[in-house]
Amino acid sequence: MSTNMNKKYDIVIAGGGVIGASCAYFLSKQKDLKIALVDLKKPGNASRASAGGLWAIGESVGLGCGVIFFNRMTMQQADATGEDLPPMRPHVLPDYFFEFALKSNAMYPGLWQELKDNHGVDFKFEKTGLKYVMYDEYDKMYADSIVDHIPGLIDQVSWLSAEELAEDEPYINKKSIGALEFKCDHQVNPYRLNEAYLEGARQNGVDLFLETEVLSIEKQGNKVIGVETDAGFIGCETLINAAGSWAAQLSKMATGIELPVYPVKGQIILSERLPKILKGCVSTTDCYIAQKDNGEVLIGSTTEEKGFDTTNTLPELKELVNGAVKCIPMLNDLNIKRCWAGLRPGTPDEFPILGEMPGVEGYINACGHFRTGILTSAITGKLINDLYRGLPLDMDITPFKYDRFLKSTDNESIKVGEADQEVEIA
Amino acid sequence: MSQISPVVIVGAGTAGISAAVELAQAGIHSIVLDEAPKIGGAVFRGPYREAIELPHLDSKLRKKISNIRQQYHDHQAFIELRLNTRVLGPAGTSSLLIRHKEEVSELTYEQLIIATGCHERSVPFDGWQIPGVMLLGGVQLQLKSGLVKPGQRMAVVGTGPLLPLVACQLHKAGVDVLGVYEAGKFSDFAKESRALLNRPVLALEGMGMLSYLKANAIPMHYGQGIVSASGEESLNKAHFAKYTDDWYPIEGTGTSLELDCLAVGYGFVSRNQLSQLFHLEHDICPISGLKPQVDAWQQSSQDNIYVAGDSVGILGGEGAMVEGRIAALSIAQTRQKVTPAQANNKADEYFTLLHKVKSFRAGFDRIGRRREGLLSLLTPNTIVCRCENVTRSAIDKVIEQGVKDITSLKMRTRVGMGDCQGKTCNSYCQDRLGHELKNPDVGHVKPRFPLDPIPFSALSDGVQL
Repeated sequence: MSTNMNKKYDIVIAGGGVIGASCAYFLSKQKDLKIALVDLKKPGNASRASAGGLWAIGESVGLGCGVIFFNRMTMQQADATGEDLPPMRPHVLPDYFFEFALKSNAMYPGLWQELKDNHGVDFKFEKTGLKYVMYDEYDKMYADSIVDHIPGLIDQVSWLSAEELAEDEPYINKKSIGALEFKCDHQVNPYRLNEAYLEGARQNGVDLFLETEVLSIEKQGNKVIGVETDAGFIGCETLINAAGSWAAQLSKMATGIELPVYPVKGQIILSERLPKILKGCVSTTDCYIAQKDNGEVLIGSTTEEKGFDTTNTLPELKELVNGAVKCIPMLNDLNIKRCWAGLRPGTPDEFPILGEMPGVEGYINACGHFRTGILTSAITGKLINDLYRGLPLDMDITPFKYDRFLKSTDNESIKVGEADQEVEIA
Repeated sequence: MSQISPVVIVGAGTAGISAAVELAQAGIHSIVLDEAPKIGGAVFRGPYREAIELPHLDSKLRKKISNIRQQYHDHQAFIELRLNTRVLGPAGTSSLLIRHKEEVSELTYEQLIIATGCHERSVPFDGWQIPGVMLLGGVQLQLKSGLVKPGQRMAVVGTGPLLPLVACQLHKAGVDVLGVYEAGKFSDFAKESRALLNRPVLALEGMGMLSYLKANAIPMHYGQGIVSASGEESLNKAHFAKYTDDWYPIEGTGTSLELDCLAVGYGFVSRNQLSQLFHLEHDICPISGLKPQVDAWQQSSQDNIYVAGDSVGILGGEGAMVEGRIAALSIAQTRQKVTPAQANNKADEYFTLLHKVKSFRAGFDRIGRRREGLLSLLTPNTIVCRCENVTRSAIDKVIEQGVKDITSLKMRTRVGMGDCQGKTCNSYCQDRLGHELKNPDVGHVKPRFPLDPIPFSALSDGVQL
């Protein structure tokens, strides 16, 4: 411990991506807490790399970047077993995730207005809908199966015939047989959302320690008391872990437990600026496509476990390009402006990790948001605020608590628990 | 085993061709890529179409252009030249993705020499975007490669040895040159005379140019620089003033010239986009921008990648030649085509020359080091990033919000997110943030793959379904 002992905060948030920034914004709204946010920009930051889709239903039924992942897994399975490709089944997440995603989604119109009116920042919320574009009977079966799985949301979906799709989206391949539209799935500009939360938080009095690295966590017994950074020591009552793909290292320092959060690489392609060619966001079984507020068309995304590697690789890019060109043939004659890769903070069950850690005081998880961090940042910020203040929560977060990993009886989890004990004694 | 695979060289300028020639002399094949239709790089490329005479170019330059072509010609058996070819970035760990016409392909390498040269440092000021305001290198390219006169009545402003040279070339081409404005003070040049004498011939040539200007009544103004440019549809007036020691224009010292073209040259920046995509280690250099780290043999932080020429720090033609040859010698040694003794023996001469070139250049760098006053030449509405139309006031606003690094600046303003990937605006943004935060390490606009836009068709199998 060194300098700046006078820097004592109620809360230090580690991580200034969209989750950390949202927590900072929601916690600072009442301006009654001393809050610091510490962020170091690392290559692969998922919030900046994201597509910015608010595809609450789409992502919950495995569309968006999920679809490519499961598509590939199915193919790999077929390859391995030598069987013909089985028809794809939608990867539908449990009800509690729907609730989480839909509640968050519903917050954006208000949040957009609020951040514009109160803080002068615009994260470019656009009502777009998300169309699942179908090319053949298998795609139709997939869509039917999605609809079967979400009986409660039937008013939020609509079927478009080939003609209706052609009229609505004239640049989409005319050979498509139609689309299934999710009417409440929209989009934002992801990095503007991130910066909007940060700017709102700053105006609310949050101290931003940007370009600052967390070096270690100070504890007294089993309580976190501060963060040692390259800008000095920052004391706190509570530490919030919003470190995205780097959350495991941070939790290890703070609690002795390495959270099961790991980077999941996604490559993205961006076109040159184009006049409006898409009314809505689009997902096929090959890729998703969204035209952003500045006219660029964004195509995503791969799902790869390659550690912290963020390089672009040709075979994967070609797959995305083929998927995009198939859906919007005119793209073939247009230009790719740039490509990049981001690192989603993945977890074994794809759900975020929220709330306290057993046996540790002054520590809250807000991490592991995998491929829906932009979408679920709003509810996450609100839940963490309510949790911190002991207010009733908008929803039960039990399924998202770290404890869920302890319920399993495999040895690894038990070992993790033991490691925790040792740290506490030390 | 690996002896057969050719060394891949990116850039057929002085550094690239010198490396290829040195490799050829050791019996090593190379593939040299260049985006232009001719070898020689921006400096020695010469006209795209063959002209019978180039009376406006001095005989020395003509000789150098033919010299580099001759060198290539003499070693052609070892050099596979691929012109009109752009490098889009790395493809995996030992390949480049390259584009020739509409075709995109991979080129694997065992050793790579990056010799991508430099690009101009754009210094925005009130009116910099008016047609007729050009960067100095661009003006020179119009004269040397385009064979057109950039304007009828011109002035040259900025800093560095290129100013008087371009003024002479413009005058010889028949342009009415109204004046040369060098930000460095005359006394600074006097102070650096010892450094400049490291290359006595170059120093003499410089003196020769100054006499030429004097003989032709072209005034050379020291300690003065640009304030603004104006004109309705195109440039018709430029405004200059005396600069303080920090290069702030001094009020009441201004002069205006009526002209139709202005050449602005406040230096060059290493063209480091490719070396950045390779994640090589880089240093921040106040003169050349971000430049890759290399050892004495031009070897980068990755063993099989070498960087030579202006892309590793602006030194000009002689430096590029020597660095290209040193990199080649190191590779020849690795491939056991020359013994360490032979390599050292030959390299000694190069190291000595390189040292002199660096000492000479350091003199100009001390005079021409950009001062903070240049940041004061923008009005609130002056565009900084012309791809995304970001103004100075937009940047002021987010700096007030506490932005501390280029990436945040980019996210909040879209500065550097256009097609040029920040080549134009990065210098201002870095200088500005560095000045505000009193810390030059504010990050930089990171280049992305592909370095130039490519059509979707280059990566697609065509429209399916």
